[in-house]
Amino acid sequence: MRLSIRHETCYRYDGAPARSTQLLRLTPADSAAQRVLAWRLVLPGPASETVDGFGNRTHLVTLEGPHHEIRLLAEGEVETRVAGPDPALGPLDVRVYLRPSALTAASAAIAELAAGSARSVAGCADLAARVLEAMPYRPGVTSAGTTAAAALALGAGVCQDHTQVFVAACRTLALPARYVSGYLLNEDETHAASHAWAEVWLDHAWHGFDVSNARAPDEHHLRLAVGLDYLDACPVRGVRQGGGAETHRAHADVRATDE
Amino acid sequence: MHALTLPETGHFDEMLLPSGGIRPHYRAFAHWLQAQSPSVLAQKREQANQLFHRVGITFALYGDDAGAERLIPFDTIPRVIPAAEWAKLEAGLAQRVRALNAFLEDIYHEHRIVKAGVVPGEQVFANAQYQPLMQGVNLPGAVWAQVTGVDLIRHADGGYYVLEDNLRVPSGVSYMLENRKMMMRLFPELFARHAIAPVDHYPTLLLSTLRRASARENPTVVVLTPGHHNSAYFEHAFLAQQMGVELVEGRDLFVRDDHVYMRTTAGHKQIDVIYRRIDDTFLDPLAFRPDSMLGVPGLMQAYRKGNVVLANAIGTGVADDKSIYPYVPEMIRYYLGETPILDNVETFQCRHPAELDHVLANLERLVVKEVHGAGGYGMLVGPAASRAELEDFRARLIAQPENYIAQPTLCLSSCPTFVEAGIAPRHIDLRPFVLTDGRETSMVAGGLTRVALRAGSLVVNSSQGGGTKDTWVLEE
Repeated sequence: MRLSIRHETCYRYDGAPARSTQLLRLTPADSAAQRVLAWRLVLPGPASETVDGFGNRTHLVTLEGPHHEIRLLAEGEVETRVAGPDPALGPLDVRVYLRPSALTAASAAIAELAAGSARSVAGCADLAARVLEAMPYRPGVTSAGTTAAAALALGAGVCQDHTQVFVAACRTLALPARYVSGYLLNEDETHAASHAWAEVWLDHAWHGFDVSNARAPDEHHLRLAVGLDYLDACPVRGVRQGGGAETHRAHADVRATDE
Repeated sequence: MHALTLPETGHFDEMLLPSGGIRPHYRAFAHWLQAQSPSVLAQKREQANQLFHRVGITFALYGDDAGAERLIPFDTIPRVIPAAEWAKLEAGLAQRVRALNAFLEDIYHEHRIVKAGVVPGEQVFANAQYQPLMQGVNLPGAVWAQVTGVDLIRHADGGYYVLEDNLRVPSGVSYMLENRKMMMRLFPELFARHAIAPVDHYPTLLLSTLRRASARENPTVVVLTPGHHNSAYFEHAFLAQQMGVELVEGRDLFVRDDHVYMRTTAGHKQIDVIYRRIDDTFLDPLAFRPDSMLGVPGLMQAYRKGNVVLANAIGTGVADDKSIYPYVPEMIRYYLGETPILDNVETFQCRHPAELDHVLANLERLVVKEVHGAGGYGMLVGPAASRAELEDFRARLIAQPENYIAQPTLCLSSCPTFVEAGIAPRHIDLRPFVLTDGRETSMVAGGLTRVALRAGSLVVNSSQGGGTKDTWVLEE
């Protein structure tokens, strides 16, 4: 399937920050499941690129001097296909993905949710279904900084929360599990096109679990980055000096294009 | 006459032979001591107190109210180490630091030691101190820990053992330097009678190590501090001043085009080496804790690109984790093909069921430590613990065995120390500071001697009421 993506992020400030720095993970890489045909970033200033320890392509963009807004645009075309479990190890030892992070520390409730699950693809799919059941999709309940434990306690969340609770639960079963950020082609438009799902290391390969949609990732999914949690993998992280209150708007448009 | 008494049976005393006689390397000092009147020595101790207060050398206690600073007590009886003993320690420390650096280079690159089955991968990679963002980062000279503090104790058998390695931001070297200055000021005649290896060139050695860490010619070095609320701020300011380099906070630095710059009154200046005294997770809010106000946004990117040196590197904590410590002798054999010169303390890893059983059955004889703990917090000293404390730890061990290691109660050696009622034996340890640029390892002779001031106590940490002594390495 050929996907066309246009992802625009805009930060507006009441004041004017003297300096702001954004770390972007907005560049997809080729894999068995996707081939990048064209990709470009339109950024408000010079950017430096690198590949981080997780293997993600990152850009650092710094704006100096007072500014009232920052606009970031990522767009391109990617060929996707259903590739199945991915045996690629990546730069890190998979056991890195056994450890909790600040956002994915397991609470007693998370451990309880996971307890007794079979350490298999079917067991994980069942666990994913129980996560979604315990915290149905509902925007506006959680925020970007909500921990997995807090989201489960709130009993609702979005893809970020589902994914973080699920990876935290898998890790209590001693299964390496990681957070994936990317895009999803939505046929029904109910979920945002910016998306997150999980991967679990089972039988020597990474198996995908789109917890929010109760299915395995397929050619509708396009991956950008991986990490232990949202903070490691999210498309944009930023800090600024001053600038007062901020409004943040992000819109990702994902379409299937004719070949 | 000052009465010198032996410690409890089973402990080695640094000054006294089991017979009560004076060990040869302490004879000149003991002779001098017996010629001093107790009242003059008491005056000298009071003078030392006042001088330290004036210098402002204090230590803020963790867990205390903000601003609860106090003086670390200083004892005027030095710890003396004969030249031959130090020579062996120096060789052993250099060997250990070489192996630890090789280990860090390996676990952030090829993972050979794990693939070879020498160190279990889970201990390394699932460790919270392992920093995934450091995977594949190439550092100049492959140096990860330019500065290492190694805690040593002397056991009942007279041998030295490594208690732990400190490769994150080891502190205490300012006390080593100030203690020596104080002793020279109070008792200049002692330095005329002994050939004592100097320590005052430590800042010069440190600066030289830091400068050699950069590939740039005439590199600019700074000391990065979390600020004056930090318990070791005195040391940060002291070392910056002694090295003649800027003391900066995160807000004084910024990243532009993958390089780090310092704001100065005369504009911007590129920084090549940051001697950072901030924990990993506070260094860059874009890479680690997003709420850190102490770091520099974008620092990780500049670092990954090789445009700035951090001393020590990010992610070194995994090598000094208590769960990795038992494998250091194996690292020495694996990377260097050498026999370890310094021994480890026997360590039981509670994550192994058989070892947990042994620990639970012998709790009242063992010291139990949290794997990731530091500073003497969260530990149980079995022989000194109450029944309630023992039961509390037993429950914790059963609930989370992987969080704990246990070691035999160590017979830390004792050294005569001034206490309220004259002189009494008190237990001590030793923290030498080892510097390396990847080719050469250097250290000043001795280090910081910490002393547990409570009678019978084996906890020397300053946060737990420990004091310090000057450490003399005698030259032959």
